[in-house]
Amino acid sequence: MSLIAFGKAETDIDYSAMRALVVDDYPGMRSAMRIALSNFGLTKIDMSANATEVLFKVQHNEYDLILCDFNLGDGRDGQQVLEELRHRGLITLDTAFIMVTAESVYEKVAATAELAPDDYLIKPFNAEILRHRLDGILRRKLAFADIYRYFAGGELEKALECCDLLIKEKPKYIVDTLRFKGELLNAMGRFEEAEALYKQVIQMRAIPWARLGLARTLHMQKKDEAAEELLHDVLEDSPELVSAYDLMAEVKLARNDAREAQAALEKGAAISGKTVRRQQRLGEVAFANGDLDKARAAFSAALDKGRHSIFVTPADYGNLCRVQVEQGDMNGALDTLKKGKMALHSSPEGQLVSAVVQGLVHTKSGRAAEAGRALDEAVRLRNVGARADEQSMLDLAGVCMANGRLEEGDAIVREVARNAHDSDALMAKARQLYEATGRGEAGDQVLKEATAEVRRLNNEGVMLAHKSDYAAAVECMLAASREAPFNPRVIMNTAWVILKRIDQEGMDHDLFAEARRLIEEAGRQSPGHTRITGLRSHLKQVEGRFGIHGSKKK
Amino acid sequence: MMLDISGLYASLMHEVKNTLGLMSITLDGVHPTGDPEHDAPLNETRLLCQRVAERLQQALLLYKAVNGQLSPMVDAYSPADVLGELRDEAQALVRDRLKVTVRIADDVPLIWFFDRNLVEMALVNAIHNSIQYARDRILLEASLDDGALCLAVKDDSDGYPEHILECVRNDQPYRSQGTGLGLQFARLVAQAHADRGREGELRLTNEDGAVFRLLLP
Ligand SMILES: Nc1ncnc2c1ncn2[C@@H]1O[C@H](COP(=O)(O)OP(=O)(O)O)[C@@H](O)[C@H]1O
Ligand SMILES: [Mg+2]
Repeated sequence: MSLIAFGKAETDIDYSAMRALVVDDYPGMRSAMRIALSNFGLTKIDMSANATEVLFKVQHNEYDLILCDFNLGDGRDGQQVLEELRHRGLITLDTAFIMVTAESVYEKVAATAELAPDDYLIKPFNAEILRHRLDGILRRKLAFADIYRYFAGGELEKALECCDLLIKEKPKYIVDTLRFKGELLNAMGRFEEAEALYKQVIQMRAIPWARLGLARTLHMQKKDEAAEELLHDVLEDSPELVSAYDLMAEVKLARNDAREAQAALEKGAAISGKTVRRQQRLGEVAFANGDLDKARAAFSAALDKGRHSIFVTPADYGNLCRVQVEQGDMNGALDTLKKGKMALHSSPEGQLVSAVVQGLVHTKSGRAAEAGRALDEAVRLRNVGARADEQSMLDLAGVCMANGRLEEGDAIVREVARNAHDSDALMAKARQLYEATGRGEAGDQVLKEATAEVRRLNNEGVMLAHKSDYAAAVECMLAASREAPFNPRVIMNTAWVILKRIDQEGMDHDLFAEARRLIEEAGRQSPGHTRITGLRSHLKQVEGRFGIHGSKKK
Repeated sequence: MMLDISGLYASLMHEVKNTLGLMSITLDGVHPTGDPEHDAPLNETRLLCQRVAERLQQALLLYKAVNGQLSPMVDAYSPADVLGELRDEAQALVRDRLKVTVRIADDVPLIWFFDRNLVEMALVNAIHNSIQYARDRILLEASLDDGALCLAVKDDSDGYPEHILECVRNDQPYRSQGTGLGLQFARLVAQAHADRGREGELRLTNEDGAVFRLLLP
């Protein structure tokens, strides 16, 4: 047996140069924490009482550690704060984020390592425990420093190499490293390797995140039957694992079982209803199922919980209003607009959504003149470049048609079709618009023509790329992306063939700039799409190879 | 008027935890002066504070166990880190009245899979017991026992009363002068840690003093 001398075996953490943020709605706790931290040698300690203050402070300072109470006064909880900080890139993985909770069940909320805090402190705790946990996290952050640096710079290959190195050099962190590596592999679209990795972890122990990770990679590989079976087992063992319900819903949708998908989301929302994105998804699925009451409740909850959240966009107001109009509750819809006035009026997109809803309401209420005015306003906004989500755009087209403005309606449908040619749901909705006005055949014609060119150019571009004729592929895809400048698949393909061409034939600065712009646009159109991280990484590699310094991330 | 009892209960608990957490961390900010008239009551108060915290945790755990919610949230942790943390915490509590040491056997893996909260709770209770009964020293030990991780708390007390050893051996509930909750929870925590059909185990023996062993597969 060996006697371990603690504090000597591992590097000492120097707190004197660090900056900390303590978040708690209770002033007594804040000052007690400040005293504890200053006893560790920290001198720069800031305090926040609520989420709004945290976001403000973090925008203006760089913190090494954030201690955040889960229960905050202003309607947002610690997990929402963390997600927003990460989503907006306000903190990097180098920042240690510790969640302070009174309940150990909150541990089960976070789905991915990226959205999980670095550690949980369960109340009540004392200074000794706080010190140990902080030491542990900060040492781990040091060990992961290279991995985080490459990850933040989009150099995923290098980050992977560092993971393998860390597993060899610091086997103590093997499980943390494997978790991060699994997410890297997923982000790079290397699902088979990710699958093998999760199975390796499960071999050691069937820990929930590894089982969830495995289910996710199975889903990404369209092995949804196996994914469903696994998730079923996971939920049987840990019925409070909310993110498993979210994934279960996606798997059920992939298996064309929309009812069960809705049921899974409802269970998740019953356990943790504060997550805006869960409510949004529940609303969408319920709406598609024709369950208007549930859709309305979920969309209302999304707006309610997300009042100050960046995850709420004008589209959410549009979604709720659409359900209300469908239910015949015109006053409800107008009321929703009124309540969201501040948020909607601050952006052209919001103004457009607002005009569309008014058009819908007036049309359904038979007020032609008012509907016409709302339409004129929408047209004016579109002419100055406003765009709204596809659903709202199709609503707008429907309003045009119902008011006899067929050509304007057709033009909008064409635009939506070009930018979403591969979305069955949107195409079906567009077809319904025509059928409702007795123009079914005309509609088929419009949709066919609108998507034919995009489809042809995209398919040809991809085929040329597979034959390694990247020069021709680029010409083809550039034409496609001029036709459909907001079509996620088209613009991602375009960026991809450009980077391939540069790999093959050398640098072309104009094309490279275009690839960068396209990747940014794709990020706006489909945030979190699995291909985007890979494309960013490819862009970084090209940058590195040709010694270009990219525009710095804001 | 209808009262939302479970909601009230939850916010009450929340408040108690907050206040207790605050009290504990505030006491940690008061440094000993070397004057026994100041230090002795301070040390005693800190110990009492930890004891109340322990009782509160037991109350909550009881609530969970009754509702069948004692499912462990297993992840990978370093046994050496956990014992190190507990050692420092215990040593800070007893100041120099007792010597608390850690021993890690050479064959103990760098990481093991368990629910850190539950396991620490069980160990903290054993440590608090030892603080009460030990004469001079407490040893926290990690070793491997037939493929399971064995986390032990050993002291130089007179040892457990025979009827408690008997009851734990026979997997029976028991009565003690205290509540007897701590050891029974330790047994629940051990048994909740099952892996591939093998259950964890609580083993109590008297050797040089009381020996508390938590075996985690
Ligand atoms: N380290 C120890 N040395 C001697 N006796 C002990 C020790 N730990 C526990 N005991 C005995 O076991 C009993 C039960 O302990 P425990 O389950 O922790 O409940 P409680 O502390 O509430 O009495 C104690 O009351 C004491 O009699
Ligand atoms: Mg006890």
